[in-house]
Amino acid sequence: MKTLFFKLQLLALLALGLLLVACGSSASTPEPQAPEATEAPAEVATEAPMEEPMEEVTLRWRTRPDNQAEIDVYQAVSDSIVIDGVTLVYEPGGSESSSYQDVLKTEIGAGTAPDVFWIPGTDVADFATRGLILNMRDMADATEGYSDDAFYPGPMFHLTFNPESGNTGEALWGLPRDVSTFALYLNLDLLAESGAPDPRELAAAGEWDWDAFVEVASAIDALGDDIKGYGQNAWWGPYGYWINAAGGGFFNEDRTACGLDSAESLAGLEFESRIYNELDIAVPYGEDSEPPFLAGKVGMFQNGRWATPGARSSANFNWDVVELPDGPGGPSNWLFWGAYVVNANTEHPEEAWKLAQALTQADTQGVISALGANIPSRVSQEALDAFLTFTPPANNQAFLNGLARNPTTEGPLWAGSWPEYDAIMGPAVTAVLTGETSIDDFAATICGEANKVFTNN
Amino acid sequence: MQSLSAKPTKQSAARLNQWLLAVTGWHGLALLGTLAGLGYLWLGGGDWPLWQQLAGTVVLVGYAAGHGTAAFFVHRRINRGRVLSLAANYVGFIICLLFSLHYLGIFLGVDALANTFAKGLPFLGLVLMGYFVGGYGDRFEGTARQRQFQLAGQWIAGVGGLFFFLAVGLLQGIWAVLLTLNNALTIGLVLGTALFGLFCWAMWRQETADLFQATIADTEMLEGYLLLSPNLVGFLIFFAGPLIFSFYVSLTNSDAFGTADWVGFSNYFKILDLDIAHLANIGQRAAEVLDIRIYDELWRFTILGQSYVIGAADKLFWLALGNTIKFVLYAVPLSVLPALLLANLLNSNLPGMRIYRAIYFLPSVAAVVGIALVWQWLFNSTIGYINYSITALINFLNSWGGSFTDPAVRWLSNSDVALLAVVVMTAWRLVGFNTVLFLAGLQNIPKALYEAATVDGAGPWRQFISVTLPMLAPTTFFVIITTVITTFQVFEDVFILMGTNPAGPGNSTLVMVLYLYQKGFQRFELGYASAIAWVLFLLIFVATLAQTRRQSQGGEAYE
Repeated sequence: MKTLFFKLQLLALLALGLLLVACGSSASTPEPQAPEATEAPAEVATEAPMEEPMEEVTLRWRTRPDNQAEIDVYQAVSDSIVIDGVTLVYEPGGSESSSYQDVLKTEIGAGTAPDVFWIPGTDVADFATRGLILNMRDMADATEGYSDDAFYPGPMFHLTFNPESGNTGEALWGLPRDVSTFALYLNLDLLAESGAPDPRELAAAGEWDWDAFVEVASAIDALGDDIKGYGQNAWWGPYGYWINAAGGGFFNEDRTACGLDSAESLAGLEFESRIYNELDIAVPYGEDSEPPFLAGKVGMFQNGRWATPGARSSANFNWDVVELPDGPGGPSNWLFWGAYVVNANTEHPEEAWKLAQALTQADTQGVISALGANIPSRVSQEALDAFLTFTPPANNQAFLNGLARNPTTEGPLWAGSWPEYDAIMGPAVTAVLTGETSIDDFAATICGEANKVFTNN
Repeated sequence: MQSLSAKPTKQSAARLNQWLLAVTGWHGLALLGTLAGLGYLWLGGGDWPLWQQLAGTVVLVGYAAGHGTAAFFVHRRINRGRVLSLAANYVGFIICLLFSLHYLGIFLGVDALANTFAKGLPFLGLVLMGYFVGGYGDRFEGTARQRQFQLAGQWIAGVGGLFFFLAVGLLQGIWAVLLTLNNALTIGLVLGTALFGLFCWAMWRQETADLFQATIADTEMLEGYLLLSPNLVGFLIFFAGPLIFSFYVSLTNSDAFGTADWVGFSNYFKILDLDIAHLANIGQRAAEVLDIRIYDELWRFTILGQSYVIGAADKLFWLALGNTIKFVLYAVPLSVLPALLLANLLNSNLPGMRIYRAIYFLPSVAAVVGIALVWQWLFNSTIGYINYSITALINFLNSWGGSFTDPAVRWLSNSDVALLAVVVMTAWRLVGFNTVLFLAGLQNIPKALYEAATVDGAGPWRQFISVTLPMLAPTTFFVIITTVITTFQVFEDVFILMGTNPAGPGNSTLVMVLYLYQKGFQRFELGYASAIAWVLFLLIFVATLAQTRRQSQGGEAYE
């Protein structure tokens, strides 16, 4: 009995010890990471020196990297940024497939989200209207040297939109991290073998249109049963291009209602459906086209700049890129973007605003762009010139052409719910592209269903 | 009834009475405190919804009544009072302890402890060494040397433990606690924990039990509840609490961020809202007969020459429900029947059979994410090994004069087969575990039954039908029930296998849990998602109940 009592005392002592240690662990702050001097430190517009010594604050920030190389670069960027009195902690937020946004939203709900984080352009309205991110307009106006015009106007239209007044330029929900656009990744070996004209030359001559595209894709597709002329992945971006290039769009002009049943939208979708169901020159819709492209089985693969690192590391054939062909509505492309936003519940909004600026400085963006995954979001000839040097692909100009020639800006849906709209549009478009639904049936039903997600309906 | 007697001395009886006086006073104090809390709940000006005020009132009144009744019966030295006092003090102790730990930052600290724990690991080696040194002394049992070894072991372990704590941050911990104890709330909670604990101890003591004439049965009952309490507290906090909360959330329009408005059962009404309309002909547009501001076309059919269309306010829910039921209907037989077959094959003493058992069980211990990624690769229609094998087989057959066409199945991009692809993967994953269950069942069947059947002239098939299957009925029932529940809850398999479009082509792999995940975590509709979760719960409950009833009627209820 005495031994048992002794053991119980010992156990109690052990538990108490561990609890006390745990108290110390929770109270301790993360050790400041010494900034490395290897990278050029981002210059941040700081305010006048304060008279009292500033209290050291810790800011957590997060973005969505696609691979370890990007994580390393973002960590280096975090280490190189110097903001007086601020210790930065970078948190890699997982990849697209590991549900970056879902985890982030859960953390916001739990009150544990970082001070500054990245969100895709389509999410900005949801986050802003629910009060989850900070409107930084006042801080931006008080910041010397800051200008909305330093960034591409497409993203800034949405990032400065005031949902209460319906006017743009009255708010500031974040700063764009980068931009991207589509290109066609070309397997030059298959192209040469097929004897088809080189799309890059056709584009230079102004002859790169949908007919030329079909001609080239058909020629490559004819090389064998296991070879496909074209491939894309199944999400709104790729099919959206065909709709936009035909002169249509997902929404009406002021983005307050569905526009998928317009004659132009239907023409674009019908043409794309022909590629799959009539000409049969593409990787079946819904299949991931990237593995067969990297395996050398696809002639033209439509994807964004983010696919470049994969092509660099895995493509064992000659490859390059070309801009998307001009449609009946003229040249078209997407302008993809995402933004650094500030958590509405941050305890340090001023410091967070400085961090958002530092993360979008030209030199910071240059370091990240060198990886090849994205394009700087600042309108700067210097940034564009630097981007052109990040080869392969040799024809980086194709991406810049995509940005310059009438791109449709990826954007949030201020008048409704983008996730709901996407959930209705995606399966309906898929049914058309897989031949399960006729274009007439699609036209008859799509907007009746999709218009329900708009708040005015 | 037997009493745990031990006659107290006059002095100890007086001391005990003083304790009981203190306990009675403490209960009175706790009663007043609880009533004060009740007053604050209604008059404090807090912005609580009515339901929270009502729920809080029920809890607080119950707790106050517990303290009041305990004080009354303790004063009258009735054993019921001791039991009530222990219960009320124990509940107070647990509540104060949990809040104290929270405000002292210990929950977060335990998480952060992982960062510093490794620093102390070498010193844990010293503790281990001390244990071995002390244990070595047992070789010299009954001698002075045994005691010397034990003493040396205790010292080594003690010093190791001390250094371990110092290395992982004991001093910082003590300092942090002292810094945290700087406000009335934390001090009050720590004090409350100590006082509730003290009075628990006072009422638990044997002298007190004797005074209240507690029987052995009383003591055993209290000990039983005490031993049960950690699990019960965990159940209430981590299971029952969230369950009830999710039901409440399902009655609101919560988006997980802002204030939720009470919407009653409207989430449920929307989920289940259907409309049926007569069509002039089967090709007539649904929009002409349904109110498309509310309903989307779900299904059209012809019966007795008349065509109808069914519209749903939430079409995706019904699609998800249909897909889930289809998934269960395919996946359960595909993961149970092969498991039964395999278990019979593996239930033999052939050489190497243990290795096969381990191999078949491997998918059950592998991570779903890894499995799904491998299957995703296998299912790729252009470069996947499944289609590659089919093509190779067809080419081989055609080279021998066949005229087969390569189906080039688009496993993950064709709405007709995508769900089947998920079923195949899930069934493959579940077969191993079900096989082990069947194997355990088979090994419990008495060999004498087979011997008797053999004597009666029964062949292997007759023995399987007449002996194995009936004797396996309880195991079969358990396997089917657990597989049905698992497949109703399918999520990871679909979410990972279908990649960036988990709902699949034409929503063909949209299942219930995936849909509620999308609603709750991707579209900010936590209230609606909770309602879906409760509908799913009811479905599983009904399916399980039906199977249990059926099994009971067959006289083979699983025990």
